[in-house]
Amino acid sequence: MDGLDFHCQLLLDEYRDALPTLQKMQEDVMERLHKALEHNKLAVTTVESRVKTEQSLAGKLALKGAKYTTLSDITDLVGARIVTYYTDDVDRIAALSEQLFEIDWNNSVDKRRLHQLDSFGYNSLHYICRIPGYDFRFELQLRTTLQHAWAAINHDTGYKSGVEIPREYMRRMNRLAGMLEMADDEFSRIRLEINDYRRRVQTLVANGKLDDVLLDGDTFRSYLQARPLDALNKRIAAINQAEIQEVPLIRYLRVLLALQCKTLGDVERLFRKYEEDAYRLARHQLGNTDLDIISSSVGIQNICIVCILATGGGKIGLVRLFDVLNGHNSQNDALAELTFEQAKNLHLWNLH
Amino acid sequence: MTTTIQQNGNQWIACFNGRLDTAAAAPTADAVKPLMEVANSEIILDCSQLEYISSSGLRIFLSIRKEAAAHGSKVIVRSINADIRQVFMMTGFISLFEIQ
Repeated sequence: MDGLDFHCQLLLDEYRDALPTLQKMQEDVMERLHKALEHNKLAVTTVESRVKTEQSLAGKLALKGAKYTTLSDITDLVGARIVTYYTDDVDRIAALSEQLFEIDWNNSVDKRRLHQLDSFGYNSLHYICRIPGYDFRFELQLRTTLQHAWAAINHDTGYKSGVEIPREYMRRMNRLAGMLEMADDEFSRIRLEINDYRRRVQTLVANGKLDDVLLDGDTFRSYLQARPLDALNKRIAAINQAEIQEVPLIRYLRVLLALQCKTLGDVERLFRKYEEDAYRLARHQLGNTDLDIISSSVGIQNICIVCILATGGGKIGLVRLFDVLNGHNSQNDALAELTFEQAKNLHLWNLH
Repeated sequence: MTTTIQQNGNQWIACFNGRLDTAAAAPTADAVKPLMEVANSEIILDCSQLEYISSSGLRIFLSIRKEAAAHGSKVIVRSINADIRQVFMMTGFISLFEIQ
């Protein structure tokens, strides 16, 4: 590289020799990080890494080459970055990293905690780490998606530090940094509260306090975990000694809400009230066939059908049911007509 | 019973013609094997010429759906007649497939 002094040229020569080692170190670092994230079930948006390019290193040496005695004094020849969804995951992964790598605490900074009143930006956690078997250190950056967005856009402005940026724009970038920090905190709080809510719901469902639990996606899933339709589905399967194909039933949430179920208690009562008629409908439909495979949705499907018919919803109610389940399409009218005619033969309700 | 498969860009169309009963299940399962590897595509099961479907036929449709989901593809069942619609309804398969 032109313009570099002899010392820097030697460092560059050293870099060229070390490149295969640096690449191997990068692979080892990534393998450890991926394994640890997977083992601890930590979902993140990005795990990425790079080995510093010769051009980038030459640029660094041109600016402050005298600072480095040997190549191993440079701590970011290999860099890895993990971008998380939540700010508390940054702390969690930091703790993991401390187990995975030896942290060079003298050179690691948690820029999040260094913020002064007039500091610039929304920064991340930078660890300088060692991995056994290598003389070189590497830099690990941990940040949230919002921190990453801020940093990426800030980088795009072309200003490398808070000193360079004109004060007016610095003030506006800092306003955004503050706003994103608040948003990050709020996202973490929301996650904590949702987890807490799910735990409370599970306890209420387990204790049978279904009337205390409002019907929504979380609560319905919890309720379904108790498999409240298993007995009905098994009875229906027994008609033809059929196998039951398990399918998710969450799509029936919208139907149950439309049927005025407000709590899990309402759902439970609706199921128990109509399960016998639902079975009769299934027996009427399947009894004359040799169909020996059914889906686990057949019980709840028939409960919804008989509930609609018993409460006077008629064919239009069935069309709406199929619209909700299958999306609006022309087949639903024919399906409703067919179901209505079959149900009429049961003489359970006053259907015309 | 015959099964033909056509590919049109990102769309695969399997046309079933005849009665998909127990006897026809094995050759039909062989015929649809190419669909099992189709990734990130739309698979259309054209039933406009399908007269009847048995449990064995439903199992074939189910396995196509499972493999499609595993490979990021989507399955659409198209143009089923009234009898087959009834079978899909009675078995609860109606909520397993997008039916057009």
